Amino acid sequence: MRSRNVIDMHLVNRMQAFGWPLIAVAFALAIMLAVGAIVGSRGPEAQAEMYYGLQWNGAIFALLGPLIGYGFTSMGQYFPLALGLGLTRREFATGLSVVFLGNAVIYSVLITVGKTIEKATEGFGLSIRFFDVFYTSTGAPWQTLLQTFLLILTVLFLGAAITAAVLRFGQVFLWVAAAILALIGLGILSGVLLLDGFGRALLDVLTMGWGPWMVAIAVIGAVSAGAWLVLVRRTQVS
Amino acid sequence: MTAIETRNLTKHFRDVAAIDDVSLSFAEGRVHGLLGRNGAGKTTLMKLLTGQIFATSGEMRVLGQSPLENPQVLAQTCFIQESQKYPDGFRPLDVLRIAEGLYPAWDQELARELIADFRLPEKRAIKKLSRGQLSAVGIILGLASRAPLTFFDEPYLGLDAVARRLFFDHLLADFADHPRTVILSTHHIDEVSNLLEHVVLLDEGRVAISEEAETLQNAAIEVSGRRDEVMAFTAGADVLHLQEIGSLATSTLHAEPGSVERARAAGLQVAPVSLQNYIVHRTTAAAAAPVA
Amino acid sequence: MLDESKPLFIAVAEQIEDGILDGTYPEDTPVPSTNELAAFLRINPATAGKGLNRLADAGVLVKRRGVGMFVTVGAAELLRRRRRDDFARAYIVPLLREAAHLGIDPENSPR
Repeated sequence: MRSRNVIDMHLVNRMQAFGWPLIAVAFALAIMLAVGAIVGSRGPEAQAEMYYGLQWNGAIFALLGPLIGYGFTSMGQYFPLALGLGLTRREFATGLSVVFLGNAVIYSVLITVGKTIEKATEGFGLSIRFFDVFYTSTGAPWQTLLQTFLLILTVLFLGAAITAAVLRFGQVFLWVAAAILALIGLGILSGVLLLDGFGRALLDVLTMGWGPWMVAIAVIGAVSAGAWLVLVRRTQVS
Repeated sequence: MTAIETRNLTKHFRDVAAIDDVSLSFAEGRVHGLLGRNGAGKTTLMKLLTGQIFATSGEMRVLGQSPLENPQVLAQTCFIQESQKYPDGFRPLDVLRIAEGLYPAWDQELARELIADFRLPEKRAIKKLSRGQLSAVGIILGLASRAPLTFFDEPYLGLDAVARRLFFDHLLADFADHPRTVILSTHHIDEVSNLLEHVVLLDEGRVAISEEAETLQNAAIEVSGRRDEVMAFTAGADVLHLQEIGSLATSTLHAEPGSVERARAAGLQVAPVSLQNYIVHRTTAAAAAPVA
Repeated sequence: MLDESKPLFIAVAEQIEDGILDGTYPEDTPVPSTNELAAFLRINPATAGKGLNRLADAGVLVKRRGVGMFVTVGAAELLRRRRRDDFARAYIVPLLREAAHLGIDPENSPR
């Protein structure tokens, strides 16, 4: 199975694949523990307040952040080498999909385990929230597992799709995409300001609940993956 | 058997025809030279033949099949690109290990021998290698892959004379023991001319020459002597180049059967024209010729 | 190393011939193989093979299956006879022409 070599390629740089994300997450967690220790010394009231506020704690992005760049690197740097070594685009796409799936599984399990420990130890004994936050779901562990899995996978495919589009269409794609996003943003803003009930409707959509949100993320991921698969089969290496 | 066959192959980049209606055939088991000036379309042709880019029109058969997205063909094809990019943090060691898994005929022993001969720091990040060391990575990959069809695009870039000699000798020895089809693109024509069996010259995306190297090596002669005698001898001949100094002249012309003897009989000095010079003359002559 | 004014395979053949004439390759002994010759002269094996085959066709070398090419018995004499025929054309005619340029009368050659 020649696609296996795509996985091997992604494992060459172990620091990039596992080292840096794990170091980043350890570092962010260490800071949170320090914060927790300091706040904890100010009494239970401050601690309870912190526990509530920390559900929006974005420190977990220290882990999710590097994964966003992963999709870019795979298409931007690994794809040209794979093609240069005689792999087909299909073989590369198959291998990379497995790599993405593996990443999503490993890190979503890691986060879920972290969250379980965090809840069981009441915030590592310091009432902090690092894994059990809004972005990774504050619900049951299986919800965290599913949410982070979908989120990571979507982000990876989205990054790959964007890079493939840039390789395929050049810088123009970035300009067009930025313009479209700006227009959408402008449309929403003017809708909120000018149309009665638009803001309320928008709020309803944004608070549609966990289930629909998961579906929305899955759809974005699926569309990205589909777009990437279509684009990668037509991508040339200049 | 032909290793490569193209028919009316064309590749446009926007409105520029990088490869323009190219119909070529490369026989199996030989060393072919793919020559031409920068921008003549050599790299583009090799990228088409290895499925890195898509043709605008035309057909191609590589090892009997279309190379596009074809694992059977691509596993037998090794393309050493001068401009190959490697991911951050990759070391020669990593690239060679992955290549080993991709090429069925890979010879790890040869790879080790070449690493030692080229003194390649295999554990240094590729991004930190010199241009010559980068070329060595490609050469080692290309030779050790033992791919039935191997493309070398400017393998000499940045190599010193010793390393160039090393490449030549290893290529020759390995080709002798394990015959395969080699397509060699280089500007160092003189250094490889004794290795080439067949030569393709591209000029502005078109095929200017596709000929046996032996034929080309004797395709032209250089005659020199007194200007009027040279002029008289070359009248009506296909002259590629004429140089005059005072009452003396040197003319490069296409040789016909017996022209060497006739030139000597006419009292002119006759010298062979190297493949490199012949190619230079053919390229500049084409450039100077009025557009038909 | 090789005469550049001739097709490469002919230059290869002539070099082997020289070797036979000067005793480098005695009769009934093997000459270098195609690949050895190619590596030594830094030329394509096909060209080296063509040079050897030319000598085989001329009866100077003989193929022994699985062993290689051997100098035939009588090869040196054969070559000598052929080269004697070529001698006048290759050396004496140019000599006379150069002599004429220099105004040397062949009949009255200086010491």
